[in-house]
Amino acid sequence: MRSLTLEGVSFWYPATDSPALRNVSLHVARGEIVALVGALGAGASTLLLVAADLAPRVTGGRLTGSAARHDRSGIVLPTPWTQASGMAFSVWDEVAFGPANLGWPTHEIARQVDRAIEQLELAPLASRDPVTLSGGELQRVIIAAILAMDPGLVLLDEPAAELDSDGARTLWRLIRLLAKEGKAVLLATSTLDALPEVADRVVWLEDGAIRAVGPPDLLADVAACDAGLGTSVATVWRTSGLPGPYPLTVAHALRRWR
Amino acid sequence: MIPVLRLDGVSFSYGSVPALADVSFDIAPGERVALLGRNGAGKSTVVRLIAGLQRPDEGTVWVGDWDTRDCAPEELARRVGSLFQHADQQLFASSVRDDVSFGPRALGVGEREVERRTDDALEDLDLTPHAAHHPYDLPPALRKLAALAGVLALEPALLVLDEPTIGLDRALRARVTRGLLERSAAGAALLVITHDLTFAAETLERGLVLDRGTLACDEPLAALLGDATRLEPFGLEPPPVAALSAALDLPGRPVRAAEAARELARVARGRPAP
Repeated sequence: MRSLTLEGVSFWYPATDSPALRNVSLHVARGEIVALVGALGAGASTLLLVAADLAPRVTGGRLTGSAARHDRSGIVLPTPWTQASGMAFSVWDEVAFGPANLGWPTHEIARQVDRAIEQLELAPLASRDPVTLSGGELQRVIIAAILAMDPGLVLLDEPAAELDSDGARTLWRLIRLLAKEGKAVLLATSTLDALPEVADRVVWLEDGAIRAVGPPDLLADVAACDAGLGTSVATVWRTSGLPGPYPLTVAHALRRWR
Repeated sequence: MIPVLRLDGVSFSYGSVPALADVSFDIAPGERVALLGRNGAGKSTVVRLIAGLQRPDEGTVWVGDWDTRDCAPEELARRVGSLFQHADQQLFASSVRDDVSFGPRALGVGEREVERRTDDALEDLDLTPHAAHHPYDLPPALRKLAALAGVLALEPALLVLDEPTIGLDRALRARVTRGLLERSAAGAALLVITHDLTFAAETLERGLVLDRGTLACDEPLAALLGDATRLEPFGLEPPPVAALSAALDLPGRPVRAAEAARELARVARGRPAP
Protein backbone atom coordinates (compact mmCIF):
# COMPACT_ATOMS: atom_id res chain seq x y z
CA MET A 1 0.00 0.00 0.00
CA ARG A 2 1.46 3.32 -1.07
CA SER A 3 1.99 6.18 1.34
CA LEU A 4 3.41 8.67 -1.15
CA THR A 5 3.09 8.82 -4.91
CA LEU A 6 4.93 11.37 -7.03
CA GLU A 7 4.23 11.31 -10.76
CA GLY A 8 6.31 13.38 -13.14
CA VAL A 9 6.96 16.09 -10.56
CA SER A 10 8.91 19.16 -11.57
CA PHE A 11 9.27 22.08 -9.20
CA TRP A 12 10.57 25.63 -9.52
CA TYR A 13 11.33 27.84 -6.52
CA PRO A 14 9.98 31.40 -6.83
CA ALA A 15 11.89 33.64 -9.22
CA THR A 16 14.03 30.82 -10.62
CA ASP A 17 14.13 29.62 -14.22
CA SER A 18 15.83 26.31 -13.58
CA PRO A 19 13.75 23.59 -11.91
CA ALA A 20 14.91 22.18 -8.56
CA LEU A 21 13.14 18.90 -9.46
CA ARG A 22 12.78 17.50 -12.97
CA ASN A 23 10.14 14.96 -13.87
CA VAL A 24 10.52 12.93 -10.67
CA SER A 25 8.34 9.85 -10.31
CA LEU A 26 8.66 7.97 -7.05
CA HIS A 27 6.46 6.02 -4.70
CA VAL A 28 7.10 5.05 -1.12
CA ALA A 29 5.16 2.14 0.33
CA ARG A 30 4.03 1.73 3.91
CA GLY A 31 6.72 -0.19 5.77
CA GLU A 32 9.43 0.93 3.37
CA ILE A 33 12.54 3.04 3.98
CA VAL A 34 13.71 5.03 0.98
CA ALA A 35 16.91 7.10 1.14
CA LEU A 36 17.60 10.06 -1.12
CA VAL A 37 21.27 10.65 -1.92
CA GLY A 38 23.04 13.08 -4.20
CA ALA A 39 25.45 15.97 -4.32
CA LEU A 40 24.45 19.13 -2.51
CA GLY A 41 21.74 20.85 -4.53
CA ALA A 42 20.67 17.66 -6.29
CA GLY A 43 17.10 18.11 -5.05
CA ALA A 44 16.77 15.78 -2.04
CA SER A 45 15.61 18.48 0.38
CA THR A 46 13.22 19.92 -2.19
CA LEU A 47 11.76 16.48 -2.83
CA LEU A 48 11.09 16.12 0.92
CA LEU A 49 9.39 19.54 0.99
CA VAL A 50 7.17 18.47 -1.90
CA ALA A 51 6.41 15.17 -0.14
CA ALA A 52 5.47 17.14 2.99
CA ASP A 53 3.17 19.42 0.96
CA LEU A 54 5.29 22.40 2.03
CA ALA A 55 6.44 23.07 -1.54
CA PRO A 56 4.92 24.98 -3.18
CA ARG A 57 2.17 25.56 -0.56
CA VAL A 58 4.52 27.32 1.91
CA THR A 59 7.67 27.95 -0.12
CA GLY A 60 5.87 29.40 -3.11
CA GLY A 61 7.03 28.46 -6.59
CA ARG A 62 5.43 26.22 -9.17
CA LEU A 63 4.86 22.48 -9.34
CA THR A 64 3.87 20.40 -12.32
CA GLY A 65 2.96 16.72 -12.24
CA SER A 66 1.20 15.26 -9.23
CA ALA A 67 2.10 14.58 -5.60
CA ALA A 68 -0.33 12.43 -3.65
CA ARG A 69 -0.01 11.66 0.06
CA HIS A 70 -2.07 8.76 1.31
CA ASP A 71 -1.06 9.26 4.97
CA ARG A 72 -0.54 12.25 7.25
CA SER A 73 3.11 13.28 6.99
CA GLY A 74 5.58 14.70 9.49
CA ILE A 75 8.89 16.27 8.48
CA VAL A 76 12.12 16.89 10.38
CA LEU A 77 13.93 19.73 8.65
CA PRO A 78 17.72 19.97 8.28
CA THR A 79 17.47 22.94 10.66
CA PRO A 80 15.58 21.21 13.49
CA TRP A 81 16.19 24.09 15.90
CA THR A 82 13.84 26.19 13.77
CA GLN A 83 11.07 23.69 14.52
CA ALA A 84 11.07 24.19 18.29
CA SER A 85 7.87 25.86 19.45
CA GLY A 86 9.70 28.30 21.71
CA MET A 87 6.72 28.01 24.05
CA ALA A 88 7.66 24.99 26.14
CA PHE A 89 9.68 25.05 29.35
CA SER A 90 10.39 21.33 29.36
CA VAL A 91 11.31 18.73 26.78
CA TRP A 92 8.10 16.83 27.60
CA ASP A 93 5.98 19.89 26.84
CA GLU A 94 7.93 20.57 23.64
CA VAL A 95 7.21 17.05 22.40
CA ALA A 96 3.55 17.49 23.42
CA PHE A 97 3.15 20.72 21.44
CA GLY A 98 2.33 19.03 18.11
CA PRO A 99 -0.05 16.39 19.47
CA ALA A 100 -1.83 19.07 21.53
CA ASN A 101 -2.36 21.09 18.36
CA LEU A 102 -3.92 18.06 16.69
CA GLY A 103 -6.70 18.34 19.29
CA TRP A 104 -6.20 14.87 20.70
CA PRO A 105 -7.55 13.95 24.16
CA THR A 106 -5.11 14.44 27.03
CA HIS A 107 -4.51 10.74 27.65
CA GLU A 108 -3.67 10.16 23.97
CA ILE A 109 -1.27 13.12 23.96
CA ALA A 110 0.46 11.71 27.06
CA ARG A 111 0.66 8.23 25.55
CA GLN A 112 2.22 9.44 22.31
CA VAL A 113 4.63 11.81 24.04
CA ASP A 114 5.81 9.18 26.52
CA ARG A 115 6.32 6.73 23.68
CA ALA A 116 8.31 9.18 21.53
CA ILE A 117 10.45 10.22 24.49
CA GLU A 118 11.23 6.57 25.18
CA GLN A 119 11.99 5.87 21.51
CA LEU A 120 14.52 8.71 21.32
CA GLU A 121 15.95 7.86 24.78
CA LEU A 122 15.07 11.32 26.06
CA ALA A 123 13.73 10.34 29.50
CA PRO A 124 16.77 11.79 31.35
CA LEU A 125 16.15 15.13 29.61
CA ALA A 126 12.33 15.19 29.91
CA SER A 127 12.20 17.98 32.49
CA ARG A 128 15.03 20.08 31.00
CA ASP A 129 14.28 23.46 29.45
CA PRO A 130 14.81 23.01 25.67
CA VAL A 131 16.95 26.16 25.52
CA THR A 132 19.58 24.46 27.71
CA LEU A 133 20.02 21.50 25.33
CA SER A 134 22.95 20.84 23.04
CA GLY A 135 22.36 20.78 19.28
CA GLY A 136 22.26 16.98 19.14
CA GLU A 137 19.92 16.74 22.11
CA LEU A 138 17.58 19.24 20.50
CA GLN A 139 17.65 17.32 17.22
CA ARG A 140 16.44 14.21 19.08
CA VAL A 141 13.70 16.27 20.77
CA ILE A 142 12.44 17.56 17.43
CA ILE A 143 12.42 14.06 15.94
CA ALA A 144 10.43 12.90 18.99
CA ALA A 145 8.06 15.85 18.59
CA ILE A 146 7.33 14.86 14.99
CA LEU A 147 6.92 11.15 15.82
CA ALA A 148 4.57 12.01 18.70
CA MET A 149 2.09 13.23 16.09
CA ASP A 150 2.06 9.65 14.77
CA PRO A 151 2.60 10.45 11.08
CA GLY A 152 2.12 7.60 8.62
CA LEU A 153 4.67 9.15 6.28
CA VAL A 154 7.89 10.12 8.08
CA LEU A 155 10.12 12.59 6.22
CA LEU A 156 13.62 13.17 7.57
CA ASP A 157 16.20 15.61 6.19
CA GLU A 158 19.70 14.89 7.54
CA PRO A 159 18.23 13.44 10.75
CA ALA A 160 21.59 12.27 12.12
CA ALA A 161 23.49 15.46 11.32
CA GLU A 162 24.06 16.61 14.89
CA LEU A 163 23.84 13.25 16.63
CA ASP A 164 26.72 11.48 18.33
CA SER A 165 27.46 7.86 17.43
CA ASP A 166 25.09 6.48 20.11
CA GLY A 167 22.34 8.87 19.08
CA ALA A 168 22.77 8.01 15.41
CA ARG A 169 22.65 4.26 16.16
CA THR A 170 19.47 4.74 18.19
CA LEU A 171 17.94 6.76 15.36
CA TRP A 172 18.73 4.26 12.61
CA ARG A 173 17.39 1.42 14.78
CA LEU A 174 14.24 3.44 15.44
CA ILE A 175 13.74 4.10 11.73
CA ARG A 176 13.80 0.34 11.09
CA LEU A 177 11.27 -0.09 13.89
CA LEU A 178 8.99 2.59 12.45
CA ALA A 179 9.03 0.81 9.10
CA LYS A 180 8.24 -2.48 10.81
CA GLU A 181 5.22 -0.77 12.39
CA GLY A 182 4.05 0.09 8.88
CA LYS A 183 5.18 3.68 8.54
CA ALA A 184 6.69 4.88 5.28
CA VAL A 185 10.04 6.61 5.72
CA LEU A 186 11.64 8.90 3.16
CA LEU A 187 14.94 10.40 4.24
CA ALA A 188 17.77 12.47 2.81
CA THR A 189 21.24 11.98 4.20
CA SER A 190 24.88 12.57 3.48
CA THR A 191 25.70 9.84 5.99
CA LEU A 192 26.06 7.25 3.24
CA ASP A 193 27.82 4.69 5.40
CA ALA A 194 24.68 4.16 7.50
CA LEU A 195 22.44 3.30 4.57
CA PRO A 196 23.36 -0.36 3.90
CA GLU A 197 21.93 -1.21 7.34
CA VAL A 198 18.94 1.11 7.10
CA ALA A 199 17.51 1.69 3.63
CA ASP A 200 15.39 -0.66 1.56
CA ARG A 201 15.89 1.46 -1.53
CA VAL A 202 18.29 4.23 -2.46
CA VAL A 203 17.33 6.98 -4.89
CA TRP A 204 20.24 8.80 -6.50
CA LEU A 205 19.30 12.34 -7.45
CA GLU A 206 21.37 14.39 -9.86
CA ASP A 207 20.54 17.94 -10.85
CA GLY A 208 16.93 17.53 -9.74
CA ALA A 209 16.28 14.28 -11.62
CA ILE A 210 16.43 10.64 -10.62
CA ARG A 211 19.67 9.16 -11.94
CA ALA A 212 19.24 5.66 -10.47
CA VAL A 213 17.11 3.69 -8.02
CA GLY A 214 18.10 0.44 -6.40
CA PRO A 215 19.03 -1.44 -3.26
CA PRO A 216 21.82 0.01 -1.08
CA ASP A 217 24.30 -1.95 -3.24
CA LEU A 218 23.93 1.05 -5.53
CA LEU A 219 26.37 2.79 -3.16
CA ALA A 220 29.13 0.38 -4.21
CA ASP A 221 28.52 1.01 -7.88
CA VAL A 222 31.42 2.37 -9.96
CA ALA A 223 29.42 5.39 -11.11
CA ALA A 224 28.26 6.16 -7.57
CA CYS A 225 31.81 5.93 -6.24
CA ASP A 226 33.03 8.25 -8.98
CA ALA A 227 30.25 10.72 -8.14
CA GLY A 228 31.29 10.77 -4.47
CA LEU A 229 28.28 8.70 -3.45
CA GLY A 230 29.97 5.39 -2.70
CA THR A 231 30.25 4.19 0.87
CA SER A 232 33.65 4.83 2.44
CA VAL A 233 34.61 1.16 2.05
CA ALA A 234 33.54 0.98 -1.61
CA THR A 235 35.39 4.21 -2.34
CA VAL A 236 38.63 2.99 -0.74
CA TRP A 237 38.33 -0.26 -2.70
CA ARG A 238 37.83 1.59 -5.97
CA THR A 239 40.69 4.00 -5.25
CA SER A 240 43.00 1.08 -4.49
CA GLY A 241 42.52 -0.24 -8.01
CA LEU A 242 41.26 -3.64 -6.84
CA PRO A 243 38.69 -5.18 -9.14
CA GLY A 244 34.95 -4.86 -8.58
CA PRO A 245 32.34 -5.52 -7.52
CA TYR A 246 33.29 -3.33 -4.59
CA PRO A 247 32.35 -4.23 -1.03
CA LEU A 248 29.70 -2.00 0.51
CA THR A 249 30.64 -2.35 4.17
CA VAL A 250 33.54 -3.45 6.36
CA ALA A 251 31.84 -6.83 6.82
CA HIS A 252 31.59 -7.30 3.04
CA ALA A 253 35.24 -6.28 2.64
CA LEU A 254 36.35 -8.77 5.23
CA ARG A 255 34.49 -11.60 3.50
CA ARG A 256 36.03 -10.57 0.17
CA TRP A 257 39.52 -10.33 1.66
CA ARG A 258 39.38 -13.83 3.08
CA MET B 1 56.19 29.88 22.43
CA ILE B 2 52.86 31.13 23.83
CA PRO B 3 50.03 28.75 22.96
CA VAL B 4 47.31 30.16 20.73
CA LEU B 5 44.79 28.87 23.25
CA ARG B 6 45.06 27.73 26.83
CA LEU B 7 42.21 26.55 29.01
CA ASP B 8 43.42 26.49 32.59
CA GLY B 9 41.16 24.72 35.10
CA VAL B 10 37.97 25.93 33.40
CA SER B 11 34.58 25.17 34.93
CA PHE B 12 31.21 26.44 33.77
CA SER B 13 27.54 25.81 34.57
CA TYR B 14 24.29 26.91 32.96
CA GLY B 15 22.49 27.84 36.17
CA SER B 16 22.29 24.57 38.08
CA VAL B 17 23.27 22.46 35.05
CA PRO B 18 27.04 21.82 35.08
CA ALA B 19 28.66 21.90 31.62
CA LEU B 20 32.45 21.86 32.16
CA ALA B 21 34.54 20.84 35.18
CA ASP B 22 38.21 21.72 35.55
CA VAL B 23 39.11 21.48 31.86
CA SER B 24 42.71 22.27 30.88
CA PHE B 25 44.50 22.05 27.55
CA ASP B 26 46.79 24.10 25.25
CA ILE B 27 46.81 24.46 21.47
CA ALA B 28 49.96 25.53 19.61
CA PRO B 29 50.07 27.60 16.39
CA GLY B 30 49.26 25.45 13.35
CA GLU B 31 47.92 22.54 15.40
CA ARG B 32 44.83 20.74 14.10
CA VAL B 33 42.70 19.53 17.00
CA ALA B 34 39.41 17.62 17.10
CA LEU B 35 37.11 18.12 20.09
CA LEU B 36 34.98 15.00 20.34
CA GLY B 37 32.37 13.62 22.71
CA ARG B 38 28.72 12.81 23.21
CA ASN B 39 25.90 15.29 22.68
CA GLY B 40 25.75 17.42 25.81
CA ALA B 41 29.38 16.67 26.80
CA GLY B 42 30.19 20.41 26.85
CA LYS B 43 31.81 20.86 23.43
CA SER B 44 29.77 23.83 22.24
CA THR B 45 30.23 25.46 25.65
CA VAL B 46 33.98 25.42 24.98
CA VAL B 47 33.33 27.34 21.74
CA ARG B 48 31.22 29.94 23.53
CA LEU B 49 33.87 30.41 26.21
CA ILE B 50 36.67 30.86 23.68
CA ALA B 51 34.58 33.34 21.68
CA GLY B 52 33.96 35.32 24.87
CA LEU B 53 30.19 34.78 24.76
CA GLN B 54 30.36 33.14 28.19
CA ARG B 55 32.82 33.68 31.02
CA PRO B 56 34.20 30.73 32.98
CA ASP B 57 32.85 30.28 36.52
CA GLU B 58 36.32 29.14 37.53
CA GLY B 59 39.68 28.98 35.78
CA THR B 60 40.88 31.04 32.84
CA VAL B 61 40.58 30.89 29.06
CA TRP B 62 43.68 32.43 27.50
CA VAL B 63 43.68 33.40 23.84
CA GLY B 64 47.37 34.04 23.31
CA ASP B 65 48.17 36.37 26.19
CA TRP B 66 44.61 37.69 26.49
CA ASP B 67 42.38 36.57 29.37
CA THR B 68 38.93 36.30 27.79
CA ARG B 69 37.43 37.82 30.95
CA ASP B 70 39.07 41.11 29.99
CA CYS B 71 38.02 41.05 26.34
CA ALA B 72 34.77 41.77 24.54
CA PRO B 73 33.81 39.22 21.84
CA GLU B 74 34.60 41.76 19.11
CA GLU B 75 38.13 42.19 20.49
CA LEU B 76 38.61 38.42 20.62
CA ALA B 77 37.54 38.23 16.97
CA ARG B 78 40.96 39.70 16.12
CA ARG B 79 42.49 36.40 17.18
CA VAL B 80 39.65 33.86 17.12
CA GLY B 81 37.32 33.03 14.27
CA SER B 82 34.30 31.11 15.56
CA LEU B 83 31.82 29.07 13.54
CA PHE B 84 28.81 28.35 15.73
CA GLN B 85 26.72 25.23 15.65
CA HIS B 86 23.74 26.95 14.10
CA ALA B 87 25.44 29.18 11.58
CA ASP B 88 22.19 30.88 10.60
CA GLN B 89 22.71 32.91 13.76
CA GLN B 90 25.81 34.53 12.29
CA LEU B 91 24.55 35.43 8.79
CA PHE B 92 22.80 38.74 8.33
CA ALA B 93 23.93 40.53 5.14
CA SER B 94 21.91 40.50 1.93
CA SER B 95 24.58 38.71 -0.10
CA VAL B 96 27.14 36.02 0.66
CA ARG B 97 29.95 38.38 -0.41
CA ASP B 98 28.79 41.15 1.94
CA ASP B 99 28.52 38.68 4.77
CA VAL B 100 32.00 37.26 4.21
CA SER B 101 33.56 40.72 3.92
CA PHE B 102 31.84 42.09 7.02
CA GLY B 103 34.36 40.54 9.44
CA PRO B 104 37.60 41.84 7.91
CA ARG B 105 35.97 45.23 7.29
CA ALA B 106 34.93 45.40 10.95
CA LEU B 107 38.52 44.61 11.92
CA GLY B 108 39.52 47.81 10.10
CA VAL B 109 41.79 46.30 7.46
CA GLY B 110 42.13 48.29 4.20
CA GLU B 111 39.50 47.86 1.49
CA ARG B 112 41.91 46.15 -0.94
CA GLU B 113 42.82 43.65 1.79
CA VAL B 114 39.12 43.10 2.57
CA GLU B 115 38.57 42.23 -1.09
CA ARG B 116 41.53 39.86 -1.18
CA ARG B 117 40.47 38.04 1.97
CA THR B 118 36.88 37.80 0.80
CA ASP B 119 37.90 36.43 -2.61
CA ASP B 120 40.27 33.91 -1.02
CA ALA B 121 37.72 32.66 1.49
CA LEU B 122 34.98 32.28 -1.15
CA GLU B 123 37.40 30.52 -3.48
CA ASP B 124 38.69 28.19 -0.74
CA LEU B 125 35.17 26.87 -0.13
CA ASP B 126 33.91 26.86 -3.73
CA LEU B 127 31.45 29.62 -2.90
CA THR B 128 32.42 32.11 -5.61
CA PRO B 129 29.40 31.11 -7.77
CA HIS B 130 27.13 31.93 -4.81
CA ALA B 131 28.78 35.26 -3.90
CA ALA B 132 25.86 37.37 -5.09
CA HIS B 133 23.15 35.14 -3.60
CA HIS B 134 21.23 36.02 -0.48
CA PRO B 135 22.49 33.65 2.23
CA TYR B 136 18.94 32.57 3.04
CA ASP B 137 18.36 31.50 -0.56
CA LEU B 138 21.03 28.83 -0.04
CA PRO B 139 20.40 25.38 1.44
CA PRO B 140 21.40 25.06 5.13
CA ALA B 141 24.66 23.26 4.38
CA LEU B 142 25.81 26.07 2.08
CA ARG B 143 24.69 28.67 4.62
CA LYS B 144 27.05 27.04 7.07
CA LEU B 145 29.83 27.14 4.47
CA ALA B 146 29.09 30.84 3.89
CA ALA B 147 29.46 31.43 7.63
CA LEU B 148 32.71 29.45 7.56
CA ALA B 149 33.98 31.64 4.72
CA GLY B 150 33.26 34.68 6.89
CA VAL B 151 35.34 33.11 9.64
CA LEU B 152 38.23 32.30 7.26
CA ALA B 153 38.19 35.90 5.97
CA LEU B 154 39.11 37.09 9.45
CA GLU B 155 42.40 35.19 8.96
CA PRO B 156 42.65 34.62 12.70
CA ALA B 157 45.38 32.81 14.62
CA LEU B 158 42.78 30.35 15.90
CA LEU B 159 39.79 28.85 14.08
CA VAL B 160 37.14 27.34 16.38
CA LEU B 161 34.60 25.47 14.28
CA ASP B 162 31.45 23.75 15.55
CA GLU B 163 30.29 21.01 13.15
CA PRO B 164 31.55 22.60 9.90
CA THR B 165 30.53 19.73 7.59
CA ILE B 166 26.89 19.05 8.43
CA GLY B 167 24.94 18.15 5.31
CA LEU B 168 27.91 18.59 2.96
CA ASP B 169 28.53 16.08 0.22
CA ARG B 170 31.90 14.35 -0.08
CA ALA B 171 33.31 16.80 -2.63
CA LEU B 172 32.53 19.81 -0.44
CA ARG B 173 33.84 18.09 2.68
CA ALA B 174 37.09 17.50 0.80
CA ARG B 175 37.09 21.16 -0.15
CA VAL B 176 36.70 22.17 3.51
CA THR B 177 39.53 19.81 4.44
CA ARG B 178 41.78 21.34 1.80
CA GLY B 179 40.93 24.90 2.86
CA LEU B 180 41.59 24.15 6.52
CA LEU B 181 44.87 22.34 5.80
CA GLU B 182 46.05 25.41 3.87
CA ARG B 183 45.14 27.71 6.75
CA SER B 184 46.90 25.42 9.19
CA ALA B 185 50.02 25.26 7.01
CA ALA B 186 50.04 29.07 7.08
CA GLY B 187 50.12 28.93 10.89
CA ALA B 188 46.47 29.04 11.98
CA ALA B 189 45.48 26.61 14.74
CA LEU B 190 42.25 24.64 14.37
CA LEU B 191 39.89 23.45 17.09
CA VAL B 192 37.05 21.56 15.42
CA ILE B 193 34.00 20.06 17.07
CA THR B 194 32.61 17.30 14.92
CA HIS B 195 30.68 14.07 14.97
CA ASP B 196 31.91 13.45 11.44
CA LEU B 197 34.87 11.26 12.33
CA THR B 198 35.64 10.58 8.67
CA PHE B 199 36.17 14.31 8.16
CA ALA B 200 38.13 14.52 11.43
CA ALA B 201 40.43 11.70 10.30
CA GLU B 202 41.13 13.42 6.98
CA THR B 203 41.72 16.88 8.46
CA LEU B 204 42.92 16.80 12.06
CA GLU B 205 45.83 15.33 13.97
CA ARG B 206 45.09 15.50 17.68
CA GLY B 207 41.99 14.33 19.52
CA LEU B 208 40.50 15.75 22.69
CA VAL B 209 37.48 13.95 24.13
CA LEU B 210 35.07 15.59 26.55
CA ASP B 211 33.04 13.24 28.70
CA ARG B 212 30.31 14.79 30.85
CA GLY B 213 32.17 18.06 31.07
CA THR B 214 35.64 16.72 31.84
CA LEU B 215 38.58 16.20 29.52
CA ALA B 216 38.85 12.43 29.26
CA CYS B 217 41.39 12.02 26.49
CA ASP B 218 44.12 14.00 24.69
CA GLU B 219 46.19 12.04 22.17
CA PRO B 220 47.07 11.63 18.48
CA LEU B 221 43.82 11.35 16.58
CA ALA B 222 44.76 8.54 14.19
CA ALA B 223 45.63 6.16 17.03
CA LEU B 224 42.45 7.07 18.89
CA LEU B 225 40.14 6.66 15.88
CA GLY B 226 41.61 3.26 15.09
CA ASP B 227 41.00 1.89 18.57
CA ALA B 228 37.38 0.80 19.04
CA THR B 229 37.88 -0.17 22.67
CA ARG B 230 39.23 3.31 23.53
CA LEU B 231 36.36 5.04 21.72
CA GLU B 232 33.52 2.91 23.04
CA PRO B 233 33.32 4.41 26.57
CA PHE B 234 32.83 7.83 24.99
CA GLY B 235 29.96 6.67 22.78
CA LEU B 236 32.20 6.89 19.70
CA GLU B 237 33.04 4.29 17.10
CA PRO B 238 35.83 4.14 14.54
CA PRO B 239 34.99 5.75 11.19
CA PRO B 240 34.57 3.18 8.37
CA VAL B 241 38.06 3.62 6.91
CA ALA B 242 39.65 3.05 10.33
CA ALA B 243 37.38 0.06 10.87
CA LEU B 244 38.36 -1.31 7.45
CA SER B 245 42.08 -0.91 8.20
CA ALA B 246 41.65 -2.71 11.50
CA ALA B 247 39.50 -5.50 10.05
CA LEU B 248 41.98 -6.18 7.23
CA ASP B 249 44.96 -5.50 9.51
CA LEU B 250 46.43 -3.02 7.03
CA PRO B 251 49.99 -1.96 7.95
CA GLY B 252 50.03 1.25 9.96
CA ARG B 253 46.24 1.04 10.40
CA PRO B 254 45.60 4.13 8.23
CA VAL B 255 42.50 6.17 9.02
CA ARG B 256 42.58 8.36 5.89
CA ALA B 257 40.98 7.08 2.69
CA ALA B 258 43.91 7.71 0.32
CA GLU B 259 46.41 6.05 2.67
CA ALA B 260 44.10 3.09 3.26
CA ALA B 261 43.63 2.64 -0.50
CA ARG B 262 47.40 2.74 -1.00
CA GLU B 263 48.04 0.16 1.72
CA LEU B 264 45.19 -2.02 0.45
CA ALA B 265 46.67 -2.03 -3.05
CA ARG B 266 50.17 -2.72 -1.73
CA VAL B 267 49.08 -5.63 0.47
CA ALA B 268 46.83 -7.04 -2.28
CA ARG B 269 49.79 -7.10 -4.70
CA GLY B 270 51.73 -9.23 -2.23
CA ARG B 271 48.94 -11.77 -1.78
CA PRO B 272 48.58 -14.86 -3.92
CA ALA B 273 45.87 -14.57 -6.53
CA PRO B 274 42.58 -16.17 -5.41
